[in-house]
Order: sequence, then C-alpha cells, then structure tokens
Amino acid sequence: MRRVATGERPDWRATAQSHGFVFHTLDGAPYWDESHAYAFSLAEIEDGIEGPSGDLHALCLAFAAHAAEDERILARLAIPETAWDAIRTSWRRGDPSLYGRLDLAYGGTGPAKLLEYNADTPTALYETGVFQWLWLEESLRGGRLPPGADQYNAVHERLIERFRAVAGPGLLAFTAYAEAPEDRGTVAYLEDCAVQAGCRTAFADLPDLGLRPDGSLCTRAGEPIETLFKLYPWEWAFRDAFGEAIGQTPTRFLEPPWKAVLSNKGLLPCLWALEPGHPNLLPAYFEDDPRAAELGDSYARKPLFSREGANVSLVRDGAMLVAGDGPYGAEGFVRQGLADLPTFDGRRALVGSWIVGDAPAGLCMREAAGLVTGNDALFVPHFIEPG
Amino acid sequence: MDATQDIDGSRTRSKRSQTVSLVLIAGAGAAALGLGSLDPSQREEDVLVYADAAACAAEAIRPAEECRSEYAVARAAYPTAAPRYASLPDCEGHHGPLHCRPGGEVTEQARDRYLPRMAGYMIGRRAAQGLAPQPVFDHAPSPGHAAAAAGHGGYCTGGGARIFTGSGGRASAARVQTASLRGTSFGGFGQTGRSFSSASHGSAHGASGGG
Repeated sequence: MRRVATGERPDWRATAQSHGFVFHTLDGAPYWDESHAYAFSLAEIEDGIEGPSGDLHALCLAFAAHAAEDERILARLAIPETAWDAIRTSWRRGDPSLYGRLDLAYGGTGPAKLLEYNADTPTALYETGVFQWLWLEESLRGGRLPPGADQYNAVHERLIERFRAVAGPGLLAFTAYAEAPEDRGTVAYLEDCAVQAGCRTAFADLPDLGLRPDGSLCTRAGEPIETLFKLYPWEWAFRDAFGEAIGQTPTRFLEPPWKAVLSNKGLLPCLWALEPGHPNLLPAYFEDDPRAAELGDSYARKPLFSREGANVSLVRDGAMLVAGDGPYGAEGFVRQGLADLPTFDGRRALVGSWIVGDAPAGLCMREAAGLVTGNDALFVPHFIEPG
Repeated sequence: MDATQDIDGSRTRSKRSQTVSLVLIAGAGAAALGLGSLDPSQREEDVLVYADAAACAAEAIRPAEECRSEYAVARAAYPTAAPRYASLPDCEGHHGPLHCRPGGEVTEQARDRYLPRMAGYMIGRRAAQGLAPQPVFDHAPSPGHAAAAAGHGGYCTGGGARIFTGSGGRASAARVQTASLRGTSFGGFGQTGRSFSSASHGSAHGASGGG
C-alpha cells in the first residue's frame, strides 16, 4: 500500500460538474483530491480488506440477531423503548438492507481493525461508485496510471442489482434534507441506480413526508410509499413526531430499522464480547463497564451516537491527544483500544469498505491531517497495481 | 377482546366479521345497515374556525386562555403543515389570488417554494374530541359549489380537508368528516436532526472518527 503522486486530470472540475458531482468542494474547502492516489496490491485488497469486511459484516448480522431479540441489549444501546418493536419486527421479517460502510484502520501491515460501522446513513457513495471509477478510466487513458491498473469498486453495479432484488412494484421514495448538497447528491445517485433497476421512484424532502390514516407514509401528493430510502439516521427518526408510527407502518425502509443496532458505537463492545481477540476487532467496552480499565490510559472515547467524528476524544498514556467537541454524547460513551491510522506523507488514511446487500463491494479512501477523520477529510482515489 | 385459541393452538382474531360492506345492493346505503358507527370514514365532527385567538375569545365558547394556547399550537404547526407549491400560480390555483406567499418568508426549508397564508385555525368544538389545533388556509371557490356564489371557497387544512363554516363563511362552526380531519399529517420527520444542525448542518454524513 503506497501513496503515489499521479497528477490531476486537467479538466476534472468540468468533468465533475457535468457528472453532477457538485459537492467536490464543500464550504470553500476541497473535498475531492486527485493530485495523488493510494496504490494497493491485489492481495492487500482481497486478503486485507475484502475478506475481513465480509467476515465483519457476517459477525454484525449475528449480533443483530441477538440484539433484536434481547431488550437488555437494546437498552444498553440507548435505543428508545418505542423503537424496539420496529427493530424486532423488521429483523424477524427479514427486511433487506441496501448498503453500509465499515471504517477500517489498515495500512498494508497487520490485520485491518474495525473502527466503526456506518450501517445506516453512509455518504461518500457517489464519489466512490461513479467519480472514482471515472477517474480510473480516464487516468488509464491519459497515461497517469500504469496499464493494467484496476480498482476495487463494484459499488455501482451492485447497488443496481440490489435494488432489482429487493424493491417491490410500488413507489420507492428517497428522502433527505433537500438543502444539504452532499446528502441530496447521495440520494439523487441512489435514485438513479433504482431507476436503472426498473423501480418507480420519487424524491421527497424530509418535511414533505406524510403519514396517512392507514399508517403508511406518503408523498405530499398523498401517494403511499411502499419503500422509503432515508438518508436520515434511525436514532433521529425514532425521536421525531412520526417516530412511534414506524413500528406499525406498512411502508418498508432502507435501511431497515434493525440497522439501528449496528450504526451505534455500542456495537463495538458488543462485538468484542461476542468474539474477544478477533483479529479485526479492537478491544472495546462501555464506559461504565469496570473492564474498561483493561484499556489502561490509552483509548478512543466515542459517543454511542455521533456523526462526522464529532465528540470523539483520543487519550494516549493518559494525555488527551484530541478532545472532541460537538453536540453528541448524551446517551453515553464507549471506550475502544487505540489503532493508529497509517500515516503517508504526514497524512492519516482511513479505509472505507463498502458492503452492498450482504457482500463487500468496494472501497474509498479518506485522508485527514488530524487524528480523527471528520467531515473535512479529503476523498482520495485508489487503484490496484498490475500484478 | 374475543381472541381465542384454536384447537391446534394458533391464535385467531374475533369470531365475527370486522367489517361488512355492500356496494352492489341498490338503496342499501352503509348507514341503513347500521355500519355508520363502524366505519370512521362516515363520521363527522363539529369544529370551530377562528382567524385568531381574539376572535375565539370574543365568541366565548372557549376560555380566552385556551384560545391563546390553541392558537399558539396551530401557529407553530404552520411552517410544516402548510402545503408547498413549486410556483405561485400553482398555489393561487388552490388557495385563490393573494392567499399565497414565498416559502422562504416562513421557513428556510421552504425556500424556492410557495405556501398559502395562514387564514386562521381550527379546533374541535369540545376539548374531549382530542383534535389537535391546526392552521387552515383559504380555498379558492370551486365552480358549482353553493358557497362559491358568495365568492367563498371555505377553508382547507394541510391534510386536504375542506371546511365550510356556516352563514357563507361568516360563522365559526362547521361539520367536517372525521376521516378527512384526522387524515394525512405532514412534517413529522426531520425535527430531531435540526437540533444537531449547528454542528453538522443537519447532514447525515457518515464519515467516521478514527482511533
């Protein structure tokens, strides 16, 4: 695994614009950066990332099966009691999931370590599936990459296959905050995939969703929604005014309610308890568990619910390296053993490993100057070196 | 309830039909079979419509204090309960000329859209009805409707219920079908995320914290 200077395509901004990638620069700061790229060997991809990602996802499903049926676990994850039925029912019914992103600490030496699972509302999907793919094709043609270079990225076609497999004949609606460009862009991309899979689709701004007397969700025009893709976290939806309707509604969701047990930092101590010593897991404990002391005075402290690295603190040898601030943490914290993100040219690299359906499907690289990967981290493309 | 155990142990529901509907027998309306009481879509209820809390207090059906608090509830619901239209002509087509405004005046989330002005609010005639106060909007007169002759189109709610108050719209009292009043509600998703918006712009962006 190397960080390689590749040079930019001179016209990439125009290419981005014409492909709908309008959030390549966010709040005036660059987000997409193709001045360099990460190079992997095929073995690093298959044995270091893809294989372990499949194992980790399978372990997560095994945990979801326990959690959905065990109210003590749901309570431990700070999931409100009003949501338990929805979680249980969706799990028992086998409601399918669409996608998720495992965040891994991996630098090509030693096993990948799971930092967390963005199992509910991951973004960076379009840039992975489309723009990164386009970058590879054009960079091969432009001679900026060696002939025969490849990419671990079947995200786009797997999404279409997945929609084809799980969508019903009724309306498949997509919702997010319409005014957040990155979120809007992500659901517009997913809607595009769904249309290609033959689905009948619509976009609805979050406040435009309605609740009909029969309990189904509907569009502003009153049309019932058979399946709702929501780029809006379950822990927020459960607390909204419509939250208590989720357990009874005939509308199905992507991601399904049972994903709430995975997109929760409480997953980390629960996985460690299921498989202590698993090579791809870091030791982790709920903060109020006396065994948290086994981590000594070096650990990451993460709120059960948080986004974009907010409220994450890092402590090494008793010294606070990063004191995370933000609006999260009211529901409690977990402590996780420290895994240093690999450093390349002074940058910290994070592997985002995509799961589509229940299978690993591709990766994205995020790069940050600091120790915690937040929403200011750069998206950097990757390729597989020819064998 | 009348749930019972079958011999084989499987659970059955009530032993009698939940609903009986006849749609082909001429002259036998649902009410004639006594089904009116079973079918909520046939029920009506009494409501009151006022322009504001002062109009409510002046009629003295409700205590002034309740008029104020109920008006406040309806007022607060207005930004999410109001229907949203892509253009001013679309909005005025439903609600009549001069009854619409740019959505950005009401809420940032409705910028680039048009909303009807809040014409007043509606409450149940009795508190026991348990009907949440809600904003009402002017409705454009429908051709052929009796009230249209007087240039009055009545009111509508965000859920699409039509309300015609007595005396060509001058009185406060109206009877409205329960099903339409307690129909579709909007704006029930998105509030919790807004409370985190100072940190994340309400975005669900999932980038992670690395250890």
